[in-house]
Amino acid sequence: MKEYELFIGPQHVGITGNFLVHLWVDGDTVVKAEAHPGYLHRGFEKLMERRTWYMNVALIPRICVPEPDVNEAAYAMAVESLMDWEIPERAKYIRTMVLEMARIGAHLFGLGGHAGSLGLYTVSHWTIGDRDYILDLFEQLTGARIYHIYIFPGGVRWDIPDGFLRKLEKVLNYLERRLEFYDNILFKNKIVFERTPGIGVIPKDKAIEWGVTGPNLRACGYEYDIRKLDPYAAYPDLDFEIPHYPDLGEFDVLSDGGDAYTRLVIRRLEIEQSINILRQIIKKMPSGDYTLKRPNPLAWKVPEGYAYARVESSKGEYGYLVVSDGGKMPYRVHVRGPSYTHGVNVIETILKGANIADVSQILFSLDICPPDLER
Amino acid sequence: MNTQVLLENLGIRCERLKVKGNTVPRYMCHVDSESIESIIEKLKSAGFKHFVALTCVDWIKDGEFELLYHLFSYESREDVFLSVRIPRDAPIMKTLRHLFPQIETYEREIHEMFGVEFEGNDRLGEFILEDWDDMPPMRKDFDTEEYAKRKYYSVPLVDEGDGK
Repeated sequence: MKEYELFIGPQHVGITGNFLVHLWVDGDTVVKAEAHPGYLHRGFEKLMERRTWYMNVALIPRICVPEPDVNEAAYAMAVESLMDWEIPERAKYIRTMVLEMARIGAHLFGLGGHAGSLGLYTVSHWTIGDRDYILDLFEQLTGARIYHIYIFPGGVRWDIPDGFLRKLEKVLNYLERRLEFYDNILFKNKIVFERTPGIGVIPKDKAIEWGVTGPNLRACGYEYDIRKLDPYAAYPDLDFEIPHYPDLGEFDVLSDGGDAYTRLVIRRLEIEQSINILRQIIKKMPSGDYTLKRPNPLAWKVPEGYAYARVESSKGEYGYLVVSDGGKMPYRVHVRGPSYTHGVNVIETILKGANIADVSQILFSLDICPPDLER
Repeated sequence: MNTQVLLENLGIRCERLKVKGNTVPRYMCHVDSESIESIIEKLKSAGFKHFVALTCVDWIKDGEFELLYHLFSYESREDVFLSVRIPRDAPIMKTLRHLFPQIETYEREIHEMFGVEFEGNDRLGEFILEDWDDMPPMRKDFDTEEYAKRKYYSVPLVDEGDGK
């Protein structure tokens, strides 16, 4: 049998961003797959070595477009570890609020993308539209819609504006009502039942060894979440659940886990949890300072050493390893993007044997973010 | 078993890193390139089943590359960094991709960005960069400004015409 080569990407509706998956197909079955990143490489890690500790905050949100705030939070936490700074309680709550808002935005984006890859474009129009309400909130809070440059080492950039929490409450009420619409159009849809279960399976016994994290790992049946495992910001004070297979709430368990369907459901359930977390934050928001008194931004004396900080992003573990030699700029920064594992090695393995029509669905269901892969 | 005791039994000296924000303890351990494989195997069987990342740091003053193998245990909730120093003028290291498959991807990147040779990894080659014929760009002695001037200043500006 003759094999054909097929290129999905870098400009393709079925790919999550600028990224190329090179396929070898026999009929319509994938025999071999190779991931080719590199279209979004901008050398962030190198650029960070040539900018001051303070200037880097404006650079790093650009590493992950759908959810930029995790970069700021992880970098800030790593620098605080080196500086031995304990940030005020209010700053911790504001950070948590920003991260959870970002998670809802990213999950809406991911849900819409996955539905779009199944041909259900109405869902993507709705989710992108609803995500805009979150972006409006970000605009009011930070002055920017996408790249907020808001979480700084030592705290946050400025305090929350008057009436913001009331507006947030309204948006949360709206989003909660909208979830019912998504359930009806997506999770009661025959296309979803027929096409998503059992597709793109990550075996449970391999998931941890392959380095899969985040919702993709939880869909395999592990209750692992960095917000609980390695708590940061205000998460230890908050009460929330970790949706994981086979505990899918009101949703049916249609497969043995680790597949596109379970990942889709986990993301939908996480939106609900984030709404719940944000409501608790509105109630508990402490008063006080929103930042430490920061030294002169041009002359930070960061002590020598290594620091690693990690946060749970909507895609998995997002970590920053920061190395300082005591200079004005970081000596080395390494970004551990969550897509690094499931975006290259995992898809090259699980795409084997898949149908061509399911390839883009598998890529979207893993929520691969190419910019955090190549940085 | 307590991880610190485990590491001491293996004869590894380690120090604790400062952690603010996150809460889990992180250990930085110094090992040599011969024993790294067996140490990772032992840690893996002791619960360190999550390989977080492989990082390279260019210590140009010491003439060394530092490879940081970062492992995490979901059970005991601890981080271990295994630091291996290799000479900068002959950067050769055994591949460890048989231990965790994603090490292959990290090795491909480090080979491209720092020029470290991983023996036994047959997928080293073009990964993120395209048609790169210069020094590996993440090395400290690679001058980005000089490169940009040499590479792009010679390119003539596009003639956009007079708009007619």
